[in-house]
Amino acid sequence: MNEQRRDILQMLAEGKITSEEAEQLIAALERESAGSTAPGADGPPKPRPKYLRVVVDSTDNFGGDGPGRVNVRVPLQLLRAGVRLASLIPPQALGQASVELRKSGVPFDLSQLKPEQLEALIEHLDDVTVEVDQPDVKVHVFCE
Amino acid sequence: MPQVITVRVSRPHRRPIRLWIPLVPILLVLLPVLVVATLVATVACLAYRINPIRALGTGWRLLCATRGTRINVEQGRTAVLVGIS
Repeated sequence: MNEQRRDILQMLAEGKITSEEAEQLIAALERESAGSTAPGADGPPKPRPKYLRVVVDSTDNFGGDGPGRVNVRVPLQLLRAGVRLASLIPPQALGQASVELRKSGVPFDLSQLKPEQLEALIEHLDDVTVEVDQPDVKVHVFCE
Repeated sequence: MPQVITVRVSRPHRRPIRLWIPLVPILLVLLPVLVVATLVATVACLAYRINPIRALGTGWRLLCATRGTRINVEQGRTAVLVGIS
């Protein structure tokens, strides 16, 4: 926005536009910036999701009891607190765990995983939707 | 901090069971046990070179974050609902 204002002032200095025209252009720029930052300018803001939902629907008739359903709702704050808990693990324990993972054929270094990265992952969970459709079971994971 | 744990069990041909468990009175009753557990946790944190204050703070945050958790399991006409509010 400062660059556009600078361009307007430059044109005024070069005589390409009059002072009234420059004033109108700057006022239009200010209206545009106020409109784009005002809430609801592009529609109502999307509320941030608060919960992670896992819904499992099974059509299997376990022992004649009928179909089963599992519905779990977990606050996203719990995931964030869990990430902080993971950051308490001492580095030597992380190193040992990484060594064991490598021995099992998983070349993953747990010490490279930073809490900020996990927090960023949780921040973007609201766009994540996982759906698994099988003939006898449906799994749906989403944020709301 | 969560205040109440709700447990509801519905079974066929039986009256449903509903429990409202207030957490604060239970924590007050279990306070001596909690104090001992906190001391043990602090010693364990020091032994593993973890900051005990940070660990206890994170544990408290974890407990407070459980508010709003709901687990609902249905199997045929039997249903179990556990809610933390």
